[in-house]
Amino acid sequence: MISNDTALMAHLLRRAGFGANRDELESYLEIGYDGAVEALLNPSDPGNMPDDLIRRYHVEQSELRDLPGSSAYWMYRMISTSCPMEEKTALFWHGLFATGYSKLNQARSQLNQVEMFRRSGLGSFEDLLVELSKDPAMIVWLDNNENHGASINENYGRELLELFSMGIGNYSEDDIKGCARAFTGWTLGNAEYMSVRAAKDSIWPYGRIAWHFDYREEDHDDGEKTFLGETGRFNGEDIIAIIVKQEATARFVATRLFQFFAADEITEAGEKTIEAMMATYFSSGYQIRDMLRTLFHSEYFKSEEARFARVKGPVEMVVGAIRMAGNYQDPYLGIEKVADTMFFMGQGLLRPPTVEGWHEGAEWIDSGALVERVNFVAKELSNVSSPGVRSIIERLEAGADQGVLQPSELADGCLDLLGPIQVSEETRSVLVEYASRHGDLDLNDHQPGDQAEQRVGDILRLVAATREYQLA
Amino acid sequence: MSTQTKSSEIVLDYVKTIGIVNNGYNGRGFANPYDIAVGGDGRIFVLNRCDPARASAIRVGICNLEDEYLGEFGRGFGAGDEQFVWPVAMVLDNRHRLHITDEHNHRVTTYDTSGDTSGNASAKYLSHWGKPGTGDGELNGPAGIAVDSSDNLFVVDQHNSRVQKFTSDGKFIANWGSFGGGDGQFNLPWGAAVDKDDNVYIADWRNNRIQKFTNDGEFLAAFGNSGEGEGQFQRPTSVAVDPEGFIYVADWGNERVQVLGPDGSFQMILRGEATVSKWAEAYFDSNPEEKAERDISNLKPELPAHLNTPYHISSQTEPYFWGPVSVSLDREGRLYVTETNRHRFQVYQKR
Repeated sequence: MISNDTALMAHLLRRAGFGANRDELESYLEIGYDGAVEALLNPSDPGNMPDDLIRRYHVEQSELRDLPGSSAYWMYRMISTSCPMEEKTALFWHGLFATGYSKLNQARSQLNQVEMFRRSGLGSFEDLLVELSKDPAMIVWLDNNENHGASINENYGRELLELFSMGIGNYSEDDIKGCARAFTGWTLGNAEYMSVRAAKDSIWPYGRIAWHFDYREEDHDDGEKTFLGETGRFNGEDIIAIIVKQEATARFVATRLFQFFAADEITEAGEKTIEAMMATYFSSGYQIRDMLRTLFHSEYFKSEEARFARVKGPVEMVVGAIRMAGNYQDPYLGIEKVADTMFFMGQGLLRPPTVEGWHEGAEWIDSGALVERVNFVAKELSNVSSPGVRSIIERLEAGADQGVLQPSELADGCLDLLGPIQVSEETRSVLVEYASRHGDLDLNDHQPGDQAEQRVGDILRLVAATREYQLA
Repeated sequence: MSTQTKSSEIVLDYVKTIGIVNNGYNGRGFANPYDIAVGGDGRIFVLNRCDPARASAIRVGICNLEDEYLGEFGRGFGAGDEQFVWPVAMVLDNRHRLHITDEHNHRVTTYDTSGDTSGNASAKYLSHWGKPGTGDGELNGPAGIAVDSSDNLFVVDQHNSRVQKFTSDGKFIANWGSFGGGDGQFNLPWGAAVDKDDNVYIADWRNNRIQKFTNDGEFLAAFGNSGEGEGQFQRPTSVAVDPEGFIYVADWGNERVQVLGPDGSFQMILRGEATVSKWAEAYFDSNPEEKAERDISNLKPELPAHLNTPYHISSQTEPYFWGPVSVSLDREGRLYVTETNRHRFQVYQKR
């Protein structure tokens, strides 16, 4: 069993981050696997591109009125953070508690929700559900601003149970009503005016007005309710306290975490891991961080079975390639178009298709999306002027015998430095054959952008097109 | 809302708000305005930086204090004549020529605005000058720009960490500054101003201070440091100095304007108090249902603790400045505060 080797660390960083270049990998290896798990699960200063710089050059990311600049703003954070698990966690909850721009027309408040996921996404699931229920973007997305004491709207109450906690089959229609009644009065400030503006997509007269939570006691149904067998004058917090006690909730949360951070398919060994995560859920007081710690330390997660067992989502794909290439570390004219590529691959930040989020796993891949994925990554990784690619070239040179690499060494070196990535023998032989076309690679006296360097870029480009590179 | 020290020697009265977001491509309204220059004839030139979706409409709009929209000029996004990519600031010289910096094209574009000053006003394109580089007269991200009584131009060369002095035709005269936090050093400087004695003031953006120099670049003083208190700044973007020597600072990161005395002493804070502009009134006349809901709303709400930052407060409090990127003065003692994120400017009158 491998414990602290490079491949295992790379596996962890593909799941708890967006992959890692060799410098990052080595710095995590210095603190060991256990230390890396703790560092990832306890984010400190992310050191990401600061807001003042972003706002100075990108007026659209200062105002955050429209979708393109707003998704680019989050992408900047993902590509420049030194706490990738924080962003990965936010992305996980964004997919699970899917809230979309199409109805809200309010990107600033969506990004406030993302910030809430950063702040609370690794803490108590109970606290997270309370924050989610108070989140103005969620309130408008699922119509809780229309949920009044005298006339309930069940939409949020229903989805809270079905899509956000227990899953269908674990509650009755009466439970939904009780749940909805408990959340009456949970709305946003100036709800009526903001609703009119959202419905009309009004930006007048002075741009958008961001949202905040407001509790209207006079609109709350304070009467007795029965929910999942318990009776009382429940408010929203009481309902959530009952929800999180349910075994169905533990299974729901553990399963979704497993499928996002471990594997698309659940095998027998995977099922045992989920059960261990469920046990941690209860023993820790519903702490997400502890559940993930259980996952990352599980035999299953460390096993070969879990390696490359997920299809990379488009955001992982794009952000991972950019981080590997080391690009866009400063404000960049046209960054919103880069962010748009994720949408064309099927996963636009802040615009999940429905309240159910994205259909993940193999459904990320269709012929159109595959072309987009390969083209984007190939372009990033074949640009030998990119700092990350230059670093790969320098490492290849340092490992070469007298500066010369045989074709197999070139192919293996690129696979190693991009991951390490495990590929089939058939894939490897194609890479080696391609590398052989121009014989050995002489990196002595190589110059930026010369033919020798471009040969490295060509192999990296080819790796991007492999089946294995599509997997995390 | 404003706060003034008890010993404050200056009083500013709110006058009005002009503007409305322009979601189209041209015409009345503003799109992420970045600077204002006010002509002696009362014309107000508003530089529209525009977001990427509306970049083809990057332009200078013209209006006046009577809320009349008089016209516009500029040919949108690009590197051709009269085109811009990331325009930052502008200044009118004594011959009514308007000089506009572009931090992406690394150049200054000049128009003659002395022609038609009434009715359908516009401006005549003259030239653009400057090229990217680090040598004397070369530019790397020109930001703020100011003019002295002799029509010399001072261009803040942000990425070269210096100020460059040119003739109004763009001929290099001198430069000073280097990267750092010491006297006469800069960290991504932005705005510039000149006082009645031709001293030069620079908004030293990432050092959170205003620096004052002689006309030849000799360091005289520095005002402010990092923070949210009185006389402290968070990324000051713009500076203006009135004939009495009062210094107006766009304290952008704190979403406010501060006024300092001639000696740099704190005088007052403006947080903004925008009202419905005449153009906005026309919008609400056509959208009465939206107006009805607005009228019963509280546009100065109390916010949850996690949103208690100047940026978040401004994003939810429409009357306050949001993105106050520029302060400009006219000859009548009026202050114009340009708000990028609210597509408008607020006008104050000095008593």
